[in-house]
Amino acid sequence: MAVPGHVGSDYERLRPEFKVIPNPYDPAQPVMIVPAIRCDAALIHALAATPDGTLLLDHMEDDALLAQASRVVIASAERIVTRDELGRAGEGVVLEGIHVTAVVELPRGAHPTFVRGLYAVDAAHLSEYVVAARDDEAFRDYLARYVHGPKDHAAYLALLT
Amino acid sequence: MTPCTPQERMATVIAREVRDGETVAVGTLAPVPASGVLLAHFTHAPRARVVLLNHPDYWPFRQGSKEFYDFAQRGGFDLFFLSGGQIDRHGNLNLIAVGDVERPRVRLPGGAGSAMLYYLARRVIVFRTEHSPRIFVERVDHVASPGSSPPEVARPGGPWKVVTPLCVFRFDRERKALVVESVHPGVTREELARRTGFALDDVGSVEVIPEPTSGELHLLRTRVREAVAKTYPQFAETAFTR
Repeated sequence: MAVPGHVGSDYERLRPEFKVIPNPYDPAQPVMIVPAIRCDAALIHALAATPDGTLLLDHMEDDALLAQASRVVIASAERIVTRDELGRAGEGVVLEGIHVTAVVELPRGAHPTFVRGLYAVDAAHLSEYVVAARDDEAFRDYLARYVHGPKDHAAYLALLT
Repeated sequence: MTPCTPQERMATVIAREVRDGETVAVGTLAPVPASGVLLAHFTHAPRARVVLLNHPDYWPFRQGSKEFYDFAQRGGFDLFFLSGGQIDRHGNLNLIAVGDVERPRVRLPGGAGSAMLYYLARRVIVFRTEHSPRIFVERVDHVASPGSSPPEVARPGGPWKVVTPLCVFRFDRERKALVVESVHPGVTREELARRTGFALDDVGSVEVIPEPTSGELHLLRTRVREAVAKTYPQFAETAFTR
């Protein structure tokens, strides 16, 4: 697909898959084309979902686009609701279940990031992560404590102060 | 010098660049431009269409950032704001990496839409709250967004000004270079030269930026601070004089 701008930037050097070609509609003009991204899998978190995988997504995020670009889409949702309830569940955009491979109910599943209208970013936890990410040993400890240690998401949430 | 923070000074300078009736957008991690645009909107630019990424009251899109980028690619924005891990005398921006890309000294966040927005937004103001030789360099290590392009490249827009806590550079389109336009009160030529990593043109006769007025500062510290806090709570706590 063609992208405006970009011609003459170092993306020409750094990303060999980005090509500059003559614009077919105006050959004097160079235009950059980039291959479409095709993800193997997308993990996205929804405000709500129906059992058939139809999702209510934050309208300010690009999750619907990400889902359509991916071969496998695994969605978590704050809650599983009926189709009728989905329409009333809050502000957002609906992504039909045809794009979704699997869905799981996972309250506070976006932690330590946020879900608009439900809970905020956990800034203290993100700071802890940033500090841990600075050296290998601290990061191993972080993973052991928060990722590999807890048996499920509820156990993870229980660790948080 | 009026007691105020560098962010308040920069926001005031940015506000004065916003024209009434324009469509003005502010992207990610840009609290100073967001403050400046809101200050303009609350004063001389009530008819400006204001777009602030991640702001609940100033985001007129329903389909994520794709809709925003599509709108920008159509040339929808008159004024936009960018920054860089390195910024050079030719207005080139580096958002990729400092040093070798494979083994960078600093891995920067990536260019995202900057290599499109720098071409398509009619005027782009580059902002940076740190004015130092490690930021303002002779030549950026990698060009995410070039300051200028050959004539055959479709480019309706480009750099307009660069706003820092020390000065304002104007982008000279003929020389394809940054030229000092004005300095903040109390900034000497020696200090500016020492803290800029590229040689400056003669800056003996540049203008001094007018102090923020008491009205501008009052608005910044009240309505603007309250509005900006919805996207940047930590900035709202620290950037304004209480």
